Amino acid sequence: MKGIYYVITLYIFLMLPPVANLMESVMIIHMHMQMTLFVIIGFLLAPVLQKKFPRFFEEWNPNGIPGILLFVIVMFYWTLPRSMDEALNLWYIELFKFISLPFLAGVPLRDSWKKVSASVKNGLIILFTLLFIAMGWLYIWSPNQLCNNYLLIDQITLGWGFLLTAVCMISYIAYSYITDLAENI
Amino acid sequence: MMANKKKSLLSYILVAAFGLVLFYLGTDGFTAYTSEAARVNQLKDETPMFPEVTLEDHEGRVYPFSEFEGKYVFITFFYTMCGTVCPELEKNMAEVYDMLPEDVIEEDIQFLSISFDPERDTPEVLDTYRDWLDSDGETWRMARIPDQAELDELLDRFGVIVIPDEYGNFAHNSAFYLVNREGRLVEVMDYKKTEEAAETVMDILEGGGKK
Repeated sequence: MKGIYYVITLYIFLMLPPVANLMESVMIIHMHMQMTLFVIIGFLLAPVLQKKFPRFFEEWNPNGIPGILLFVIVMFYWTLPRSMDEALNLWYIELFKFISLPFLAGVPLRDSWKKVSASVKNGLIILFTLLFIAMGWLYIWSPNQLCNNYLLIDQITLGWGFLLTAVCMISYIAYSYITDLAENI
Repeated sequence: MMANKKKSLLSYILVAAFGLVLFYLGTDGFTAYTSEAARVNQLKDETPMFPEVTLEDHEGRVYPFSEFEGKYVFITFFYTMCGTVCPELEKNMAEVYDMLPEDVIEEDIQFLSISFDPERDTPEVLDTYRDWLDSDGETWRMARIPDQAELDELLDRFGVIVIPDEYGNFAHNSAFYLVNREGRLVEVMDYKKTEEAAETVMDILEGGGKK
């Protein structure tokens, strides 16, 4: 488990104020790169925590559903335009971002993913596809500037980023549906 | 086994409670999903005082803000080089102005457009803008705050966020602000809803007792 040290190094590196400020200066990097990286960090840290506290995960997340719910709640919270603004203006929201995305989204997602059924997985992907389409629509066609810390053009860029991600997820759903169909013939 | 079941039920409850609390706190009790909405709510609670600043208007007249004491002041923040929101903001301000009865305009309320670009918005430039907006220059004045520190203090207190971009423009949030006779901010209104704004102003004026 040597790789874990790289993950921890990356985690600390991303939290360094100059690095965090740089990534947060561009809206789309803030949301689609920095935030995603924090979730991935949690995802990569999960095996260590699962090994250390196996009973905890078994007892509190036996079928994976509470973990998935927690993941969804935290992700939805961070797609609110206001959360993103406040992460820039208030230090404790920023701190909450650094903690919640890895440990309340990344870790539970990994722990739950193996436990839940295929239909829950597909449901989750479809849910996020819908969310991302809605967010893309909101950010691109909103008549108002939703975030006070970013320019309107940044907001529109982010909107297209959301739509693009949604398109990727749709093609994934289509791909897995077609391959499933092929296997069952 | 029973204990495990209980724990798993408890975990649902905990997650749900966490979610509720998180969203409740994050949106001020489900009222503000953007920080602009939160800002407006907060301003209405705080009713900050308009700080003591010195204005220089389109005619080059210099006076403190307290010049308008005893009147309500209807304020917008803009800059003349702005090509996007400000012309709409100021045109909408003109609509509100036209909707108010004449005696109210004469006696009870002052219209004031404040530029946050004092360097470029000299009195001459402001006067051209005034002309374009067809304002009389008395009941509706254009002004800049030459002292940057005073300007910053005002913008900060009224929650106006101005971000300069790389092309010499500013991104900024816009609204109608209403300051009462004592110089306190009492209302922040949506600048796109002019009729609503005019009604709100009239309600407040009538509530506050016309002179």
